[in-house]
Amino acid sequence: MQRGAGAPDEDLVAAVLAGDRDRFGDLVERYQGRLVNYLYRLLRNLDEAHELAQEVFLKVYQALDRYDPRYRFSTWLFRVAQNAAIDQIRRRRLKLVPIHRQEEGDEEGRDWDLPGPERGPYRHLRNRERGEAIQQAIDGLPWEYRELIVLRHYGELSYEEIAGVKGMPLGTVKNKLFRGRQMLKEKLADYLTD
Amino acid sequence: MDATDCGSIREWLELEADGGLGAEERRMLDRHATGCAACREELRALAALRRALERSRLGVRAGFTAEVMSRLPAAGWEGGAPRAWRLPLALLAAFAAAAAALVGISSARFHPGVPFAGAVAAVADMMQTAALAGAGLLAASWRGIGLAVGELLAGSPGAIVAFVILVLAVDLLALALIRRRRVATVRGEGSDSSGRSSV
Repeated sequence: MQRGAGAPDEDLVAAVLAGDRDRFGDLVERYQGRLVNYLYRLLRNLDEAHELAQEVFLKVYQALDRYDPRYRFSTWLFRVAQNAAIDQIRRRRLKLVPIHRQEEGDEEGRDWDLPGPERGPYRHLRNRERGEAIQQAIDGLPWEYRELIVLRHYGELSYEEIAGVKGMPLGTVKNKLFRGRQMLKEKLADYLTD
Repeated sequence: MDATDCGSIREWLELEADGGLGAEERRMLDRHATGCAACREELRALAALRRALERSRLGVRAGFTAEVMSRLPAAGWEGGAPRAWRLPLALLAAFAAAAAALVGISSARFHPGVPFAGAVAAVADMMQTAALAGAGLLAASWRGIGLAVGELLAGSPGAIVAFVILVLAVDLLALALIRRRRVATVRGEGSDSSGRSSV
C-alpha cells in the first residue's frame, strides 16, 4: 500500500481508517482545488464555496468507513459535494436566478494568463471582463448541462467519473457535454479569438 | 468511422479538444482537418474554450487543508469495530446463537435428565463424526452424519430452523470474509506506525 503524495485514493482512505489521520490531509490537498472550483461555479460565491468544501470533507471523513474501495473515491466525494451544493442552493433559493455578483476583490490576485498584447490596467480590465463573461455563460446554461460542464472543467473529472457521479450512461454524459460546450462556445465567441 | 465525414468526426473534435483522443484517431482527424477549414475552426474554438475555462479556475485560500484537519471530528468509526467487520460479526453472532439453540435442542432430546452433559455429549458426537470423516472413512461418516442430522431434525421444527440458520450463517460468513479480505488486509498494513503525528 502506498502512502505518499502519489498513493491511490483507496490506499489513503485505508490508511486513514487504520488510524493514520494525516493521510486524510493528503486527500484534502489532492481534491481541494477541484472541489472549491466546482462548488464556486455552482454557488457563485467563493467564501461559501470554501466553507461548503470544508463541510463536504468533514462529512466524508465522518462517513469514511462507508466508502467502498471498489468504487472511485472521487466519484463518492463529488456526489456528496453535489448533494451539499443542491441543498445549499435550495436553502438560498437561488436556483437559476441571475448572477449574484462576486464581491469586489473575490478574484483579486487571479491573473488571466491569456496571450495578448495588453498590459497593465487594460489587460486587467480585459481579463476581468472575460472572467465575468465565462461566469455568465455558465450561469446561463440549463442546469443539466451546467452541472456536467462544471464537473468536467472545474471538478476535472473524467467522463467515466462524471457518469458515476450522475448515474448516467457514458454516452449521455458525452452528448450533454458536447451540447453544453456548443452553447458556451456561442456565448463566448467574442472571447475565444485569441 | 469515415474520417472524411464532418458529421461523424464531430465526437473526435470534442475528444481532441478535451485531451482524450487516441493516437490513431488523432492521425485520422489531422488528415481530415488538413483539408477541412470548418473542422479546423471548430477544433480551434473548442480548444480555446477549454483553455479559457481552465484559466478561469481559482486558487484555494491559504491554509485550507490545515483548517479542515483542525476541524476533523471524532468520527463514529474511530475506536469502534471497523464497519467492514460488522456484517461478519453479526453473522458470527447468528452462528453462535444457532449453534447454542442446536446444542440445547439436541441435549433436551437425547439427554433430558442432564442438560449440560447432554449438550457436551452431542457436540462430542458431532466432532467424532467429523473426525472419522477426516480420517478417510468418508462413506461411513457421511452416512453417520446423515443419520445423526436426520435423527436430530426428526419431528422438531425448531431444530430444523436452527439448523438452516446455522448453515446459512456459515455460508454467508465465508462469503463476507472473502469479499472483505482486501479491506481487512489493508487495515492490517495500515496499523503500522507512519511516523507522523495526528492533527
